[in-house]
Amino acid sequence: MSRLQRSKVTFFVIALIVALLAYITFASPTITIANKAITFKGVSHMRYGIDIRGGVEAIFRPSDKSITPTSDQLDSARRIIEQRLDSQNIYDRTVTVEPETGSIVVRFPWKSDDTDFNPQKAITELGETARLTFRDPDGNVIVDGKNVVSSVPSYDQQTLTYVVELEFDSEGAQAFSEATGRLVGQNIGIYMDENLIRNPVVQTQITDGRALITGMTDREDAKQLADKIRAGALPFSLVSENHSIITPTLGSGALDVMVKAGFLAFILVCLFMLLYYRLPGFVACIALTLQAVGQLLALSMPQFTLTLPGIAAVILSIGMGVDANIIVSERIKEELNSGKPLNTAISSGFHRAFSSVFDGNVTVIIVAVILWIFGSGAMDSFAYSLLTGVALNFLAGVTASRLMISSLSRFSFLRNPALYGARRAAK
Amino acid sequence: MIRFYKKRYVFIGISLAIMLIGIIAGFVNGIDLAIDFKGGAVFRYNFTGEINTEEADRVISEALGRNVSCLVTSDLATQTQRLVINVAGNEGISSQDQEKLDQVLKETFADNELELYNSTVVLPYFGKRFFRECLTAVFISFVLIVLYVWLRFRKIGGLSAGVMALVALIHDVLVVFIAFIVFKIPLDENFIAAALTIIGFSINDTIVIYDRIRENASIMKKASFEELVDTSITQSITRSVNTNLATFASITIVYIFAQIYDISSIRSFALPMMFGIISGCYSTICLAGPLWVMWKNYQKSHRKVKKA
Repeated sequence: MSRLQRSKVTFFVIALIVALLAYITFASPTITIANKAITFKGVSHMRYGIDIRGGVEAIFRPSDKSITPTSDQLDSARRIIEQRLDSQNIYDRTVTVEPETGSIVVRFPWKSDDTDFNPQKAITELGETARLTFRDPDGNVIVDGKNVVSSVPSYDQQTLTYVVELEFDSEGAQAFSEATGRLVGQNIGIYMDENLIRNPVVQTQITDGRALITGMTDREDAKQLADKIRAGALPFSLVSENHSIITPTLGSGALDVMVKAGFLAFILVCLFMLLYYRLPGFVACIALTLQAVGQLLALSMPQFTLTLPGIAAVILSIGMGVDANIIVSERIKEELNSGKPLNTAISSGFHRAFSSVFDGNVTVIIVAVILWIFGSGAMDSFAYSLLTGVALNFLAGVTASRLMISSLSRFSFLRNPALYGARRAAK
Repeated sequence: MIRFYKKRYVFIGISLAIMLIGIIAGFVNGIDLAIDFKGGAVFRYNFTGEINTEEADRVISEALGRNVSCLVTSDLATQTQRLVINVAGNEGISSQDQEKLDQVLKETFADNELELYNSTVVLPYFGKRFFRECLTAVFISFVLIVLYVWLRFRKIGGLSAGVMALVALIHDVLVVFIAFIVFKIPLDENFIAAALTIIGFSINDTIVIYDRIRENASIMKKASFEELVDTSITQSITRSVNTNLATFASITIVYIFAQIYDISSIRSFALPMMFGIISGCYSTICLAGPLWVMWKNYQKSHRKVKKA
């Protein structure tokens, strides 16, 4: 038996750590170290999936079904959607491209204070063809995105700066020539929808339909602008016939129910453990608190998104934690009933329980990993919660429980086998 | 010692009866794939006052050019009334059409303070793909679980243990499936989450018993398979009952809350889980153990015949 297990202090150290973690989880305290404020992200900072906090998920595809967009086109479309979300101040979103299916998946939350928000309209607007325009200082449109034949970043050998090379079709070239002739020394604004993305100054009249936009800060800057202009030339509009909208009221209602039910279930399980298994049951309550709190922190600290399937996984892993504690408590009781002295009963109880807890948890790890690999979006949260839950199972249900029970059994008044559920009196 | 093996035919009979109920329910109720898997569109609106669902049917059908069916539900806790609009067919609906629906509904029932609660629109293609992904994940995890049990429980015949664990697993997933059918809950993403959770609980249950059999196998070297299994199950029965009682009670609490607050997404997940947990406990004790004995006894008698 290790020194840690022999010490009476161990129990109190672990209980203190659990209490501290619980405090961090539920109070999200901010501490200041060397003038730097560090906030521990507890449950109040939990990042919920849109099925819990409300929001929109939409899969966009070209409205013309005969088009199979290239991955370049999809990237451009993604950039447009991101820009439109930016202009609506929606930053907490994910936009992913699926080249195999020619679709773009957009997810963004619905802030509960935003009552004017019209989600259907938002989806429609996100998918509309981006309209790229070149406008004179009075706002009159000179040429349109559809007149742009190509837009590429390049390096100008004469000025040694990065530029964007534009090429217009004949109609565009003509309009551009007329406008640049009129506007030398003035600005031509480049607009994406109604957003001004660049406002270069006309240096000379451009008659051949080939324009250079200078003044790029670096290669990345040039590439981004070129991409944006090309995106404005996107030959299709996007529609979403696959979307779900969840209002914040529904989401928070679901969360409320889960939290209330979870608390009640947790208290009942703890009472049951305490009454049925006594001392090991008491230790199990602390271990389960550690597991529950650890599970919440594992989600909230790295800001991993928690969805409803994720909550199912939390239930499963806490259920497995209850099981580990029950297996151990039963085993200790059995060992005591077979006539072993307390210390031996505790250590062999844990020893014998370990193999079944181990095998049970490894199979659950298998399920979680497979889901992680083959499942799609919503299932990721399930897999992650399950994996962290299983890790906590070993840490809380096996290691911490063992240290705590061994430590408590050092107190002479806690050595009565009846406290461990044994039938016989102390020898 | 409780003689589980002696009653094996009763247990197998009970399980077959449950499966039969499932098949009958499948024919009577039909298997209702939710739009998550088959594609389609459902909209839910909160409202006040009264709404004539037939009128709602008519105006929406006109606006969309597709048949719809409307019904009204209400939640127990807040007494909120909700209009549920199901659009016929499996096709999705564009957000433009959805805007039209929204507009026409709010114009027709201007006094009812209609407010969108949630909407789900799924293209059949994405639904099918999601379903396929989930099935692949479940299937592969089955194979790996059998392999793992085979490897870890070689002492008690590995493969036979793995296969019987799988039988118990499939049994439990089927019970969850049947619960969905009997209670007419459309099969949706929740079914996958419930089934996976039950797979986790069930395999854990089975492994705890196997672990005991493995341990006893080296102590009770002369015992028959029947004795070995019955002893092992009896020794760990308190644990089986307590663990499953605790988890069952917890899920029941979740279900009751979801029922009171009318959160269908949680309710439709919790109810089948409750059956799955009972089934997981039952299949481990009454099926996996006794079936494994039957396999081993068959093997033994077979070998004897070969030798003779």
